[in-house]
Amino acid sequence: MPNWFTPLAGICALMFAATPVLIANAPYESTMGLVQKIFYVHLPSAWMFLGGAIVCGIASVRFLFRGDPRQDRLAWAAAELVVLFGVITLVTGPLWARKAWGVWWQWDVRLTSSLMGWMVAVAYMLLRKYGGPGSDKLAAGLALFGMANVPFVYISVNYWRTIHPTTNVVPTLPTSFGLPLWFSAVTFLLLFILLLRMRVRLEEQRARIDTLYLSMDA
Amino acid sequence: MKLLTAILLIVLSCGIPGVVRAQQPPPQQQDEFVPIDQLPPQDQLPAAPLLVAAYSFVVLALFAYVVSVARRLTNVQRELERLEGDVKRGGSA
Repeated sequence: MPNWFTPLAGICALMFAATPVLIANAPYESTMGLVQKIFYVHLPSAWMFLGGAIVCGIASVRFLFRGDPRQDRLAWAAAELVVLFGVITLVTGPLWARKAWGVWWQWDVRLTSSLMGWMVAVAYMLLRKYGGPGSDKLAAGLALFGMANVPFVYISVNYWRTIHPTTNVVPTLPTSFGLPLWFSAVTFLLLFILLLRMRVRLEEQRARIDTLYLSMDA
Repeated sequence: MKLLTAILLIVLSCGIPGVVRAQQPPPQQQDEFVPIDQLPPQDQLPAAPLLVAAYSFVVLALFAYVVSVARRLTNVQRELERLEGDVKRGGSA
């Protein structure tokens, strides 16, 4: 692991310990009350979910055009994180919606496009695991669809009729709401970077094993 | 005729709630959060299990993933060391 990994992991652990304190001290929202506090983990995980899809897509494009295996390993690692943060987003969202909207799920554009983005990442993982030879390029093509879905997810609440809060919520947040949100977002970002590095390391070691097996056969 | 009237009444009464529901306006889309000092008492209990469930899920999911990656890394590292040992022994023989 690189030199920065351990100090960054320590900082991330400290921030994870401090985040609940900041969230607990944040004020209650007037219409949603206590359940609004889910927002402080739902939104950062959604950002990591969409960010992961972009990382996976860009790495896949570079792999397709340059054939660099390092980009393929990065794409695979990012796809797994898209699945992880996507699950967190898609579980915490309905838990909030049950109280805020009175239903667990609405088939509106934001929720449906998010589910589609997550399913593309799951399809990517399944293709890599069971697709056999050549699945790396097929999966890279699939990752492009996952990346293309990201702007659609983001702008959907502003262009279509939906009850999901708009993208105007974050820029207009008072400091009392904004501080715990941004602190939590930075914590999730650090965690994302650390997990991505760990997952890339796993693929690097697997590639070394493959090379060793090939050298033994030769 | 009475039976027909009764069926008609039942069918109509079943349809009324749907019509009433259809006439209700959808919830308003929110574009800003307004802070308050005190949580309304009726709002405290129903939201708490949802909040606890959300935070528990986040912690468990992240913890399970970290353990999963760490375990996979350990297994791969072990296999790598074994293979490197085999290659060295093969080279020296």
